[in-house]
Amino acid sequence: MLNVYLFQVLNGLGLGMIYFLISVGLTLIFGLLNFVNFAHGAFFLLGSYLCYTLVTLTGNFWLALIAGPLVIAMLAWALERSLIQRIYHLPHTFQILVTLGIALIIQELSIMIWGPVGKSVPTPELLQGVVRFGNFAYPIYRLFLIAFSAGVAILLWLLLERTRFGALVRAGSESTEMVSLLGSNIFRLFSITFALGVGLAGLAGVLSAPLRGAHPFIGPEVLGLAFVVVVIGGMGSFSGALVAGLLVGVVQSLMTTLWPQGASLMIYAAMAVVILLRPYGLFGRA
Amino acid sequence: MSVRTHTATFAITLLAGSLLATPLMAQDKPAIDFYGVKSVSGAFASYGKYAEMGSQLAVEEMQETLGREINYTTLDTEGNAGRAIRKVQEAINQEDARLFNGATLSSTALAIGKEVNKAGGVFMTPAGADELTGSECNASTFRWSVPTYGAIRETLVPLIEKLPDAKRWYTITPEYVFGEALLQNAKKVFEEYGLEHVGNSYHSLQEQEFSGYLTNAMSTSPDVLVLLNFGAQSSNALRQARNFGLNEQMDIVMVWSAGLDQLQELGADNVEGIYFGAQYWHEVDTPMNRHLVEKVKAAYDITPNYPLAADYIMTRTMLEAVDATGASEGPELIAALEGLTYQGPTGEETIRAADHQVIKDYYLLLGKGQAEMDDADDFADIISSGHSFVEEDKSVCQL
Repeated sequence: MLNVYLFQVLNGLGLGMIYFLISVGLTLIFGLLNFVNFAHGAFFLLGSYLCYTLVTLTGNFWLALIAGPLVIAMLAWALERSLIQRIYHLPHTFQILVTLGIALIIQELSIMIWGPVGKSVPTPELLQGVVRFGNFAYPIYRLFLIAFSAGVAILLWLLLERTRFGALVRAGSESTEMVSLLGSNIFRLFSITFALGVGLAGLAGVLSAPLRGAHPFIGPEVLGLAFVVVVIGGMGSFSGALVAGLLVGVVQSLMTTLWPQGASLMIYAAMAVVILLRPYGLFGRA
Repeated sequence: MSVRTHTATFAITLLAGSLLATPLMAQDKPAIDFYGVKSVSGAFASYGKYAEMGSQLAVEEMQETLGREINYTTLDTEGNAGRAIRKVQEAINQEDARLFNGATLSSTALAIGKEVNKAGGVFMTPAGADELTGSECNASTFRWSVPTYGAIRETLVPLIEKLPDAKRWYTITPEYVFGEALLQNAKKVFEEYGLEHVGNSYHSLQEQEFSGYLTNAMSTSPDVLVLLNFGAQSSNALRQARNFGLNEQMDIVMVWSAGLDQLQELGADNVEGIYFGAQYWHEVDTPMNRHLVEKVKAAYDITPNYPLAADYIMTRTMLEAVDATGASEGPELIAALEGLTYQGPTGEETIRAADHQVIKDYYLLLGKGQAEMDDADDFADIISSGHSFVEEDKSVCQL
């Protein structure tokens, strides 16, 4: 029989991949645009609700998986062009204030459209059921999430490290003026990056919907979790988000057996330890 | 005196009489100032919205039935105990408010009860904390919902009888006073029936990811998984338990469900074959419930759920007592409510004088599949109902 601790580690790795997906958009936007997006959780929430609506209307989860993040990315692009672009140069406190306002608007609009009671999204038929290991079972949908998140991680890495777009964005994060002088439209790059980061939040929302449903007050909790992962991994570090996501997932899962009532607390304790030992996070730069 | 003078005098008398008549009637039955403490915004708006609908419906109905004006004011708690207390204090001090009902959260209800008691008013709440009619009871506070003792007994005991082969029980509990009270009562039932409590996982009130706790449960191979959490946490725990296929390995019971709105949120796919404890169910066949279902359909075109039914009956009961006694505060109204028996949505309900707890039924429901549902809200069947309360002489309440 598989040991409960070993299974908790396996479960934690799965959970960690979900946490990576939740936080990668946030770290991307902060790392490349030096912009603090407090509306990240609200876009996750919007992703969950779009998934609910599309699945209810069409019965097709896969359509929601494609259309949901795309719609949110387009919304983010429009928002960036009309509002966010104007506050890039302002201190982070102003950015927090504006994005917090956006988050509240999204939350209240969600309540107006979908009501204050949460909604459930069924697991797609193809991914229903579990894989059994002795006494334990692991849902096929969570296995799919792990594989999907790993695929997203690889694609993002390739995009940022192996394409001209990635090179320009990375250069832009170092020196906006230099990239502009080289003839690239830096503002368009920023718009695309913002849309990509927010679209990833929406993607995480869509994928989480069958696990947690859609609820109007899920945003702040997701934002908090994403910040923990990003702070542990290092603000703006792509690989940091991956490692920190896995670390948080494993710590949380193991602690549910070792000290269940402190499982959530330990996530924040882990963050505090990392900040004390490495103030810029595991992979962060000074 | 001429006929003309007589006519003029009669006309003046009539006019004076009619002018005086309205204030005199108003003096007979003055307007009732009534305050609903509801979480209509914030994290508990899903509850407060329906609770508010219930109170408003009762106010409209009572205005017509009692033939007197009722000034209903909503105090939005915003899901925040501190703000709720401040608003109640302001209403007491600035508007001389004395009649309150509502408050979803136990911490809010306990604090409001103390404030209203200091002011000599009356407060009726559906909140869950045992302390409301237990160690922290007071003369002004009345509670409609069944506390943890009854919820556990009316859920687990019939289930134990229904599942004679289920010997191993596992619990998942939120770590705070309310969860602990449910757990302690559950442990007593397990002991009484000689069942093995194979384990418990505590979790924090912020937790929404339950895969780790479910793994703990799987490792003990229980026959029944007992969810002692509530609200969004119990919904997520149940969704994830189904996701992990636990419903195929064991029976699952959610002791403190929110009733219809939670089952609507979960959907038939998630509720099928799951047991739910509930304070209220719209299919209960009682005269008051039939009346309520009809009224709610006509007014809002929905089926009543627990928050709506609870706040409807509490508002109605208080207003009827105010009208019957002519008192809107103090010992006279409290005395009228103590021992009062009335027709409630769950049948005949009685307010116990010793601790101000309403004696009413609690229900055990079994979730249905989509194919078995007769209508869009027919998510479950009642498989058992009854009431269990700590006996008066064993109650720690000292009024």
